[in-house]
Amino acid sequence: MNLPGERTHEALRNFPPVENWDHHVEYDAKAHPRKVQRRFMLVPTTCFNCESACGLLAYIDKDDLSIRKLDGNPAHPGSRGRNCAKGPATINQLDDPERILYPLRRKGKRGGGEWERVSWDAALDDIAARIRQAIVEDRHEEVMYHVGRPGEDGFSERFLAAWGVDGHNSHTNVCSSGARFGMALWGGYDRPSPDHANAKVILLLSSHLETGHYFNPHAQRIMEGKQSGAKLIVVDPRMSNTASHADLWLAPWPGSEAAILLSIAAFLLRTRRIDTAYLERWFNWRAYLANLHPDAVPDFATFLDRLEADYAGYTFEFAAEEAQIPLARIEELADLVSHCEGRLAAHVWRSAAAGNLGGWQVARALWFVLALTGSIGTEGGTSPNGWNKFIPHGPSMPPPHEHWNELTWPREYPMSCNEMSILLPYFLAEGRGKLAVYFSRVFNPVWTYPDGFSWLSALTSDAVELHVALTPTWSETAEFADYVLPMGHAAERHDTHSYETHSGRWLGFRQPVLRVALERLGRPVTDTRDSNPGEVWEENEFWFDLSWRIDPDGSLGIRQYFESPYEPGVKITVDDYYRWVFENQVPGLPGKAASEGLTPLAYMRRYGAVSVAEGLYRQDERILSDTELAGTAPDANGVLRRPVTLDDAPPLVGEAGSVGVRHEDGSVTAGWLSPSRKLEVYSETMRDWGWPEYATPGYIESHVSRRQVDPARGELVLIPTFRLPTLIHTRSGNAKYLNEISNSHPMWLNSVDAHRAGVGTGDLVRLTTEIGHLVARVWVTEGIRPGVCALSHHMGRWRLHEDEGSRWVTGRVDITHPDGPDSWLLRYRSGVQPFVSDDPDSSRIWWDDPGVHQNLAFGVHPDPWSGMHCWLQKVRLEKAHRGDRYGDVYVDRRRSVEVYREWLALARPWTGPDGQRRPEFMMRPVKPTRRAFRAP
Amino acid sequence: MQYGFAIDQRTCIGCHACTVACKTEHEIPVGQFRTWVKYVDSGTFPDSARSYGVMRCNHCTDAPCITICPTNSLFKREDGIVDFDGDLCIGCKSCQQACPYDAIYIDDNTNTAAKCNFCAHRVDSGLEPACVVVCPTHSIWVGDLDDPDSGISQLLAGEPTLVRAPEQKTKPNVVYLGASISVLDPLAAPVDASYYSSTPDPHRAALAAELPPTDAKTTLNTAHPRPWGWRVSTYLWTKAVGAGALMVAALAHLLGVDLGVGGSLVAPALGVVMTAATGVLLVWDLKRPDRFYYILTKPNPRSWLFWGSLALAAFAGVAGLYLVTGLVGELSSYDVDPIVTVLAWLALPTGALAAGYTAFLFGQAEGRDLWQSRLLLPVLQVQAVMVGAGALVLAGSYDDAAGAFLVRFLVGAAALHVVLLLVEFLRPQHSAQATAAAGLVVRGRYAALFWWVAIGGAVFAVALAAPSWDGTPWATVVLAGIAVQGVLLTYESVFVRAGQDIPLS
Repeated sequence: MNLPGERTHEALRNFPPVENWDHHVEYDAKAHPRKVQRRFMLVPTTCFNCESACGLLAYIDKDDLSIRKLDGNPAHPGSRGRNCAKGPATINQLDDPERILYPLRRKGKRGGGEWERVSWDAALDDIAARIRQAIVEDRHEEVMYHVGRPGEDGFSERFLAAWGVDGHNSHTNVCSSGARFGMALWGGYDRPSPDHANAKVILLLSSHLETGHYFNPHAQRIMEGKQSGAKLIVVDPRMSNTASHADLWLAPWPGSEAAILLSIAAFLLRTRRIDTAYLERWFNWRAYLANLHPDAVPDFATFLDRLEADYAGYTFEFAAEEAQIPLARIEELADLVSHCEGRLAAHVWRSAAAGNLGGWQVARALWFVLALTGSIGTEGGTSPNGWNKFIPHGPSMPPPHEHWNELTWPREYPMSCNEMSILLPYFLAEGRGKLAVYFSRVFNPVWTYPDGFSWLSALTSDAVELHVALTPTWSETAEFADYVLPMGHAAERHDTHSYETHSGRWLGFRQPVLRVALERLGRPVTDTRDSNPGEVWEENEFWFDLSWRIDPDGSLGIRQYFESPYEPGVKITVDDYYRWVFENQVPGLPGKAASEGLTPLAYMRRYGAVSVAEGLYRQDERILSDTELAGTAPDANGVLRRPVTLDDAPPLVGEAGSVGVRHEDGSVTAGWLSPSRKLEVYSETMRDWGWPEYATPGYIESHVSRRQVDPARGELVLIPTFRLPTLIHTRSGNAKYLNEISNSHPMWLNSVDAHRAGVGTGDLVRLTTEIGHLVARVWVTEGIRPGVCALSHHMGRWRLHEDEGSRWVTGRVDITHPDGPDSWLLRYRSGVQPFVSDDPDSSRIWWDDPGVHQNLAFGVHPDPWSGMHCWLQKVRLEKAHRGDRYGDVYVDRRRSVEVYREWLALARPWTGPDGQRRPEFMMRPVKPTRRAFRAP
Repeated sequence: MQYGFAIDQRTCIGCHACTVACKTEHEIPVGQFRTWVKYVDSGTFPDSARSYGVMRCNHCTDAPCITICPTNSLFKREDGIVDFDGDLCIGCKSCQQACPYDAIYIDDNTNTAAKCNFCAHRVDSGLEPACVVVCPTHSIWVGDLDDPDSGISQLLAGEPTLVRAPEQKTKPNVVYLGASISVLDPLAAPVDASYYSSTPDPHRAALAAELPPTDAKTTLNTAHPRPWGWRVSTYLWTKAVGAGALMVAALAHLLGVDLGVGGSLVAPALGVVMTAATGVLLVWDLKRPDRFYYILTKPNPRSWLFWGSLALAAFAGVAGLYLVTGLVGELSSYDVDPIVTVLAWLALPTGALAAGYTAFLFGQAEGRDLWQSRLLLPVLQVQAVMVGAGALVLAGSYDDAAGAFLVRFLVGAAALHVVLLLVEFLRPQHSAQATAAAGLVVRGRYAALFWWVAIGGAVFAVALAAPSWDGTPWATVVLAGIAVQGVLLTYESVFVRAGQDIPLS
């Protein structure tokens, strides 16, 4: 069998053949040139360091059952045997001498730094009892599972649905809500899947050669595309590593990106370099005309004329002025795009869509350009993620619940892309609800979110009755938990997941590799704690066990979903669960497994991934099968619908009962997941949900537009979110090989701005924000445009107490209230220092910069449409004041509450048609019934 | 066959996957790297640019590290890989001086030299090196550069390529596609006060201010501290004193000048003691002093460290015999003169070689252009005479004839030392690296020490001693004798540091 990642350089191959994976022999690296043989079992798993979920192979030494190292998995269709630096660094995270090995429970007050070791049973009983009580007392909305890094599809939604709680919360609105919203308005799907390898033009409003979803798999293919002649265009105010490889780099004023894209669209329309046939078939142009030009002749040619006229104002001159870049650059971009021949692979994930008020229009405008060039779903073009992603469901799926959690889905933000997680502390403080049990799961909001002191306050208040941190490492948030429960890392847990890395579709598997090895060696274990270090567990078994304790006799109707599909009445095991999924839910897998004499589960344990399909394009033109069409009838707009009731729940994306679309030529295809099942250039959703003025792609002036920031007065835009290829949020903190490469926090500042401020590299400066200030250290560079400064996302890690944070990356801090209880000052007592441990390398730490925890000084900025926290900050730069120390962050919490209220006031609380709380088609984890969508 | 790497910087995204995969494959201590990624930023906004360069051992066809290694710890395999056996390494760090690429480090866990060895342990199992496997963009290729049909040769055929430091004539086998010269030439991009995501090590940061300014700045790199320090510069002095004193005494004997016990006992005693001190310093400087004897039991006959050890041993033997003979002569009535004459004839060449072999050893240090001067041999020998004579003048009382002899050699050698150093450092150097290093000495961080002590001190010594050309007065001569010791100690300290200060990566 030819694995997708197998390769040779003449006689050398990159991986041993699969048939040797159970008994691979390699010579010991350190004993070389002495030939000392080491016998390994190679067990595949998946990296846990970002959502790309690249494959890994764990090398398990058969003599002592230690994991020696991890490299790539050649069987993985997405990563194809390769990894970024964070993949192999997994071994550091597994071997970290400071790992939390046992469940911990707080002694004394929250954040007081005192802990006692407890048994898993004690923790489970306590947590289960409270969840049970909340459910029994009809306080379903008080149980919340707040996930940072999911790393899996479908599992957590299933147990939440089984409990019947609308308890899912996520980090999406500090990440991708803006980009998702702009795209979702078009066709329902909310993430792009660019086919970089086959593109002619690659347009990135992102930095996918160094980070993002999905860094490694995309970087591989972007370079393949480039090597085949594709032109790479990067739009970024900063010279990222990605921009350094661009054939054309635009560094616009932040927030102007939609203007640039709309000027491209206008140009394409003006010159008619558009895929006319595609637009006529797929745009909802009739709705456009009916709503905006009701008196016009309702034919497509008229539509094109009106569309062109409507966008004529977006000239290159307009865009150049907004963006403060030379007009020639925009013309060059337009020229390149117009010659893409339907092979424009484009991406916006965070960046401009995550930074700016109205940033979602960047995605809306980008998809406009994609549509005009006929690049949607084509080879070398850009597809929606749903065509290249696959979520298999678990056994006996629970029915949809009937609840609606207004802490996460409030009235003010009916169309938010995923939950309004950034507002949770404020909502709790306002008394909108409380939390009986709050799980922070691989999630560190005190650190990662804006206005972390509000999180700190919320987590130490009575509004949160029990805080359970599920995490592989200490974090700033775990310091304020009631339970810290250690969960396994990449090689220590089970998950399945699937991501849109290219034009195929695959399912990946993560597994506790030692458990697999022990089973192969004839020493099976039935509980992952028996193969993981210490008492580190895996979440799946934890959730199974917890669910049984919530409903031990099944009377709540929960336990049944955690019984084995093979042995009724017996608690389900992870083997049962995945055996069932792989036997029943993955097309092609049983056949592939049988052809190798393996069960589907054994196949996945062997290969760690399976390709479900390759070369999927234009799935909008997929002809529906008779089964799919059975019972459907076309509505007035040609959308084929099956009758539904209020008890039905819509799918994850899309409207309940909506199946396909009949076109004007009579053909019937799958179409999209929007209400019209077409690409909605005119969004009736926006019209019906309070924002008719934004029903079509447009330009919304950013909260940090050039008109609002005056560099002559020392004002700048701060980009606080750019990423490094080596670090990842909280989890890379204990990876020594990553920290020794990336360990400082310079503030990027263009020489023009530095000169004006009278500062040079190494000088301390104070950046004043709306709610406080921070003290950073300057790096004068030509790698960022004037008027904009930047601090990477990754640094500013701290610990309040000595043993509660990775000493590879954190400094000790004190948090005080120098000017009264609403004033908060975080100040480093010491930086990163070498320490003595079982690992001699910890004494070799030479870096000392803990960084600046900038997020603390940012007020929360919920974009009124998408719910995105608008990350970009208008700051005033000045030399540090006397008494300022590097790393200081000061916040006036009264100001942060004011900022919250200012932004809340921008939103329009709305009830949609038929009394709905939210458009049905928009993605929503743990979707309830259609009845629950309707406000009482 | 010659295994080599091709690094395609056109596709390399500077992600450090190769760096980390290598670290985990070989369990390399924090702070040390076999391969790493260098970033160089250049240009003015909006024409800013960033280039990447993957830095590692070049598995040179003519690997200078193999030549210089005294114990054959470094060796070249049949397939062209430059490999190493840590069990043979004594930690002398000569390889780090021979390598012009900063490829070698002394592993903090084993205290032996280590570097990229092409993952030879994997190659022997038919597997690619770890860095090749991991690279997301397949930017690292391996194969037989000698075979025109190999994949790597076909990749490179017809493309413009670069290698690092071709002028060192090592014939490197890491070939770069699409690399910027500013990344490959270590002098093309001095560091700034900050890196992109780290901090330059203090040594490199301090140096940057003294290197010629350029348009490019290194914005990410790794630390490579100077391998040799005060022990090496001090042993160069102790060796010079021992060799020089006995050479001067031997010459005096052969020319019929009677230096008394100064010549018969003190000189050979200095020869023995100072050579022993040299040995102590040399062994003390080893990272594996427990293995010091390997240099004699597992020698590499191409290495001047080996021949140098023999030269020191030979000279120490001659000096020992000279001393014993002198004692016999002083304590008995035996006429040892003819024996002394024979030993004096032996002392001259062995002394000259003991003092001067360093020139041949440094001649093998391809990484340190400052040390690779044809003047180094005469400079070392002149300096030995200078400090040897200077030591002897401190040793006792002499009659006018003896005194004059010593003064003339002291003054003559000190004057020659000044002249040779002025020629050495003020003439155009043979490479950019040597020019930069000489600049540090003459105009930069070492300028005060060089001009005031190394040169000025010698001039001062000449001025003090020259009036005593005929043997008196003596007090000033003694001062001059002391002064020249300080001159050489200072000069060697400057010379050893400056040679290693220039970045190689």
